[in-house]
Amino acid sequence: MTIALEAEGLNTFYGKSHILYDVGLKVKEGAITTLLGRNGAGKTTTLRSLVGLTPPRSGKITIFGKDTTHTPTYRITQNGVGYVPEGRKIFAHLTVEDNLRVPQERPGPWTIERVYQTFPRLAERKMNKGRQLSGGEQEMLSIARALLLNPQLLILDEPSQGLAPLIVKEVFRIVQQTKADGMSVLLVEQNVRASLEIADYAYVLDHGVMGWSGTAADLVKDEERIQALAGASAEEWSFDDTLSAAETEALAHQPHAVA
Amino acid sequence: MLTLILFNLTNGIILGLFYVLMALGVSLILNLSNVINFAHGNFLALGGYFAFSLAPYLGYWGAFIVAPILIGVLGLIVEQTMIKRVYARPHVYSLLLTFGLSFIIQDMCRTIWGVNGLPLSIPNALNSPLSNQFFFLTGYRIFLVAVVIVAVAALFAFLGFTRVGTRIRAGTFDLDTVSALGINIGLLRALNFALGIGLAGLAGVLAGGQIGLNPNMGDNLVLPSFIAIIVGGIGSLTGTLVGGLVIGVASALTSVWWSAGSNVVMYILMVVILVARPRGIMGEEGMMT
Ligand SMILES: Nc1ncnc2c1ncn2[C@@H]1O[C@H](COP(=O)(O)OP(=O)(O)O)[C@@H](O)[C@H]1O
Ligand SMILES: [Mg+2]
Repeated sequence: MTIALEAEGLNTFYGKSHILYDVGLKVKEGAITTLLGRNGAGKTTTLRSLVGLTPPRSGKITIFGKDTTHTPTYRITQNGVGYVPEGRKIFAHLTVEDNLRVPQERPGPWTIERVYQTFPRLAERKMNKGRQLSGGEQEMLSIARALLLNPQLLILDEPSQGLAPLIVKEVFRIVQQTKADGMSVLLVEQNVRASLEIADYAYVLDHGVMGWSGTAADLVKDEERIQALAGASAEEWSFDDTLSAAETEALAHQPHAVA
Repeated sequence: MLTLILFNLTNGIILGLFYVLMALGVSLILNLSNVINFAHGNFLALGGYFAFSLAPYLGYWGAFIVAPILIGVLGLIVEQTMIKRVYARPHVYSLLLTFGLSFIIQDMCRTIWGVNGLPLSIPNALNSPLSNQFFFLTGYRIFLVAVVIVAVAALFAFLGFTRVGTRIRAGTFDLDTVSALGINIGLLRALNFALGIGLAGLAGVLAGGQIGLNPNMGDNLVLPSFIAIIVGGIGSLTGTLVGGLVIGVASALTSVWWSAGSNVVMYILMVVILVARPRGIMGEEGMMT
């Protein structure tokens, strides 16, 4: 299998505070790789380093075979990387339609029309402001916005954060679908069990150090590690494969706290 | 008395329109790049002088079109060579930089065009009053109002309906996310800066025809345009538009009864509005048109 993204020895700082220590990871093409870790472990910082928003002070990043360590963010994303940031980062004062007009579209299957077909809820709310959307709708919009770049690699930062379980199911189903469409995925999650169910490979970050890596199947068996990772939130819940159409419909109308 | 009030109302609207052109440019730059441009009034003066120097070759109309565009290009160069270097630094850097720039441009104008005022002649067709009773309604003033309306409408349409305009609005809210969506935010900021400076250039050409040219001609407009932005609500361009007109009209009308009060009234208005609505008339997070 070829490698979509490889990072080696990343050291990233916010001002004087050293956050990432020699972090390395690989995202294999056509697979879902999940990056897990407790709150504050440095997951978001890792993703920001990879897309150039918080460039590492040392280390090397290679995406689709190109050295992108010092490449500006817009070029990295233009090169086929979709980034769905933590907290969705919807433009709250813009309409859904305008939010979708921000990305620099690259040629490919995803167009604004296809977004509206795939996420009918967004089509219905076309003229609503970002801030008027439910959390689930905002997440759909944030993913849709990234998909308009027609990326070959999709990077998502806690897409399930703050969403009701049924909506989380829907989000994970979409992530699985992007893999089925041939994209490589790097998924950061707090939702350890759900994430491992769809992932092929896993990394565990601990206080800025990459503590564990392997296949998702191996991590699932390591009950102790999973408990440590997710603490109390690693409760039983997991989900069956897909939502019924009725469930999706019910979800879409359920108002939800805005992030 | 009615004529006097109408006279001052007209003056107020004209003055307000200059505040609006200035303030919209300052606002664009402030909202997207977080830079308060103290040199904005000097770009206005340069616009007038450029038109003055181009008019012998291009005629008034040619100069009228070309001068603001050249000022916009100059803005682009200034942004690329100087302003963009301080974006990542604390505010005080950009304040000092544009403050210094303001003196440099002012001295340049003095050196090139002299300290004395110069006239920017306008076509005769624009010069005559429309009627004797309303002597203050000259063709030029009506032309000026029309130009400002067209320019402001074009700006709002650009920001509201084009993709680049949408990205500028998005960028005022969250530049990181805009760049993560594949947009070159360096270029976006440069274009936006050029646009704001171009508006100052246009204001300079228009002001030159009204009051003539001098190296300090923009200075009196800078502070009121900051006030217009605050009164209208930082972040809202519609607010800036309303704010500019309100303070222009308020100060001109005040001068009917209390001529010394025409400046004071702006500050009083600002304080009153800020007490009643701390975010200004229309302020909210993220720039709206
Ligand atoms: N902008 C910032 N400035 C300074 N420190 C930060 C900033 N963002 C995050 N941090 C710190 O970096 C560490 C890692 O944060 P983050 O990458 O957000 O973790 P995670 O996404 O795993 O929860 C935390 O200790 C956090 O406090
Ligand atoms: Mg995080």
